[in-house]
Amino acid sequence: MTLHPLLEPGWQYAVLPELILCLGGMLLILWDAFFPRAKAALAPLALLVFVVTAWSERLWVKGGIWFGGTYEISPITMIFDLTFLLAGMLALLFARDYLDREGIEGGEFYALLMWGTVGMMMMAKGLDLLLIVLGLEILSICIFVLVGFHRRIPVSNEASLKYFLMGAFATGFILYGTALFYGATASTNIATMARWFASNNVTPLLTVAFVLLMSGFGFKLALAPFHPWAPDVYQGAPTPVAGWLSVAPKAATLIALVRLFDAMGPVLPKVNWMNMVAALAILSMIVGNLVAIVQHDLKRMLAYSGIAHVGYMMVAMLTIREDSVAAVAVYTITYALMNIGAFGVVSLLMKNENDPHTLDDIAGLGFRRKFYGFALALCMFSLSGLPPTAGFISKFYVFKTAIESRHTIVALIGILTSIVSVYYYLRVVYYLYMKEPAEGYEISSSGGVFATGALMIAVAGILAIGLFPTPLFQAAGNAARMLLQQ
Amino acid sequence: MPILSTLIWLPIAAAIVLAFFPNRAETAIKGWGLFTSAAVFILSLGLLRGWADGHAGFQFEEHVSWIPQWGISYSLGVDGISLWLVLLTTLLTPLIFLAGWNAIHKHPKEYVIAFLVMETAMIGAFIATDLILFYVFFELMLLPMYLVIGVWGGANRIYAAIKFFLFTIAGSLLMLLGIIYLGFRAYHELGVPTFNITDLYGLSLSPTAQALLFFAFSLAFAIKVPLFPLHTWLPDAHVEAPTGGSIILAGVMLKMGTYGFLRFVLPYFPESALRWSTLLITLSVIGIIYGALVAWVQPDMKKLVAYSSVSHLGFCVLGIFAMTQTAIEGSILQMVNHGLSTGALFLLVGVIYERRHTRLLADYGGLARTMPIYAVFFVIAVLSSVGLPGLNGFVGEFLILAGSFKTYPVAAIIASTGVILAAIYLLWLVQKVFFGPITNEENRNVPDIAWNEIAALVPLVVFMVWIGVHPNTFLKKMEPSVKHLITVVGGQPGGQVMVAQKGGAQ
Repeated sequence: MTLHPLLEPGWQYAVLPELILCLGGMLLILWDAFFPRAKAALAPLALLVFVVTAWSERLWVKGGIWFGGTYEISPITMIFDLTFLLAGMLALLFARDYLDREGIEGGEFYALLMWGTVGMMMMAKGLDLLLIVLGLEILSICIFVLVGFHRRIPVSNEASLKYFLMGAFATGFILYGTALFYGATASTNIATMARWFASNNVTPLLTVAFVLLMSGFGFKLALAPFHPWAPDVYQGAPTPVAGWLSVAPKAATLIALVRLFDAMGPVLPKVNWMNMVAALAILSMIVGNLVAIVQHDLKRMLAYSGIAHVGYMMVAMLTIREDSVAAVAVYTITYALMNIGAFGVVSLLMKNENDPHTLDDIAGLGFRRKFYGFALALCMFSLSGLPPTAGFISKFYVFKTAIESRHTIVALIGILTSIVSVYYYLRVVYYLYMKEPAEGYEISSSGGVFATGALMIAVAGILAIGLFPTPLFQAAGNAARMLLQQ
Repeated sequence: MPILSTLIWLPIAAAIVLAFFPNRAETAIKGWGLFTSAAVFILSLGLLRGWADGHAGFQFEEHVSWIPQWGISYSLGVDGISLWLVLLTTLLTPLIFLAGWNAIHKHPKEYVIAFLVMETAMIGAFIATDLILFYVFFELMLLPMYLVIGVWGGANRIYAAIKFFLFTIAGSLLMLLGIIYLGFRAYHELGVPTFNITDLYGLSLSPTAQALLFFAFSLAFAIKVPLFPLHTWLPDAHVEAPTGGSIILAGVMLKMGTYGFLRFVLPYFPESALRWSTLLITLSVIGIIYGALVAWVQPDMKKLVAYSSVSHLGFCVLGIFAMTQTAIEGSILQMVNHGLSTGALFLLVGVIYERRHTRLLADYGGLARTMPIYAVFFVIAVLSSVGLPGLNGFVGEFLILAGSFKTYPVAAIIASTGVILAAIYLLWLVQKVFFGPITNEENRNVPDIAWNEIAALVPLVVFMVWIGVHPNTFLKKMEPSVKHLITVVGGQPGGQVMVAQKGGAQ
């Protein structure tokens, strides 16, 4: 094993986004400590940090492989970085108004959001299983705290503890799987593993390693049957955090899986591992969509819908091709816009956060608060995959990819379960526009400039991707090509 | 100025402007809706002025690349098959606003916006010449209709709205899978990604694939038509929808199904269509008779008209799958006829419902004495629907029956009893409502039809008579396109490129 000098010259530019986010987070904590009265400046400062980070991606970041072949910066990681930043920004904007209303605003919230984003960036760029696990752990620790951030209400604490216990367990699976991979292929580096896979046969040990790894990642993705934590955690977590949690970590895990599946490419035709993944995808689509029907709690409903959506994304990944990577990238961006948008509207409902947020709480909202109602309805249409929204384009991409890779049956199951999903998404629209609130029970909603601005971004994004997807397709397609060429 | 794009985008642009109107300015809101939709109608008449007679292909074509990676383009065009359906759409929309002038007071702004968005979607679906673009518009029209039924509908509106949506989306999502597969095959065969409607004609599909695709597409359109036994959503949707919603639903949206059969199912899967035509014809004949019989026993006027739609649309499907020139022309004409006469009937039922708040036949009787003008319009609409010679319904049904007698004589004979049944249940309706003694005292002082309602009905009556007296104005323009369609389906030597391709594939 050759030792590379770990810090190649110019390394600062490779990890510039991560550096900015780390330092920005520290700055915000210090700001809160030194100027406890100037809390109003926290969110704008945090927003500034996110924007500067996104800017730096374009301007200064140097592509290539860094840190001894363990860290890759390429167009696809840039797309995913921007997705994480978008998700973080939307969550931040919704959180600002939410935290302010609940009286729990603090610099550490924004700092944790930023550090979590750093963890995700490491997962997206890591070329070494250990680095991916490291990123995942940075992310998970931030999530544990963020979920329990509303620390005076019991459900938030409960959710945090649940996520912590289950998450730690899942990390154990991933680490064990990694160890077995190392045992079989003598490396944790994905490129080295790929070379090994190209020239060796699969041993039963590897199958065990793969199953362990998929179980761990399946947990992080909330794939059925590893999903039961998701509804409880989303329900208890502060709503903007739940929105972020339902999107960003999944995106990071998916891109890590893409690398892994790609490396395994040579052996996949010989083993039935992908059938296992297909089974997880099918089960997720079925369980997610069917159970969502009976949910009355909006956050739980969105949790089950999220389980189904990860199922759709996995459908695209059954065969790793250029299109499938691009489809996953497009889907995650779309999903970030529509799901955080939907959670965002829920976060604006003014009620005791310890109580469930039910469908009754949004009865008649569509005519009382027209923009919020419209935005939520649009998110629902997009989630159910109806044109002309981004959700339609993304779903189309996923199923198109599946059919082209000859996974017709899985695509058919996906379509059939989508029909089911229309029912519960439309029910939200029904409550928004067709149901009068019960006598004397009217939940008002509040949102300042921040939340309204975030909703505008979500609405504009959903419509823009739905109507003019070409630039995004081009970027994602090129990025996917470069990723798979290596 | 590209006329087709203007037709599509003008209504939605008007809707966006309308979103900034103050909520209280009811008259301004309704006036704006009426004004812009009337402008769209006048613009759409430009299609007739610029029409090239004897041309079979698409006219006024527009092509802009939309998603080049997938070969999806923003392509528009009208031919003889879609021309009259577009005009029907643009004609009916302003009439909705006119008829609903005094009826809609609940959220009028959203009401007008919903109908304008629907107009965009309906026109778009008829003139899209790209399969994906068609699908986008085809789905887009569901959302406003769902809201229209669910927000402004009757007592059981939620059930009806959700049932309507789920039925149609179930069909269309399966069709989407079929569309993706078709595009995949086209890429395989032609080497370039394309979803252009005519590019996809004559692909060589394996018999299994063709049969599966045929059923995926047919299911979507059969639900929309609706064909027996998939019709159960229709009476619910019609009864609960507000008058305007019923008019658009019956007048235009059901035609998406029959139009889809003509535009996609027949030319894409000709072998399967021939093979399974007996099945579809049987279902449509069952629909004709069943719809008529069920209409006969309805105590509710609106339900009666709704079931009569099932019966009348059965004729259209019969004509399509008979696959003769006469039958298909009759079928297209009958789509327009049904839009006019059923639109008028729904409008008239809405008029009386608004005054008396009941639609039960038993509550009426002798109305001809209190509402003479109303009665005249009602009788004209009924006679048009029944198929009285000299009015539009006769021409359409006659052409369908005469045309299908050549290929499916038994079906044509059974279907013709549907005409007789229609006469029975519709004249029965007229007799019960308008003639006889006034049994219900409340019917003595019902105000007669108002100016806005008359204004909405007159254009419909004009076209009923026009089609009835001089159908050639309409048939002449659709003839070349229908002839061309039949060559594509039948594969007769017509020198068409698609036919050659298909022949090569066989």
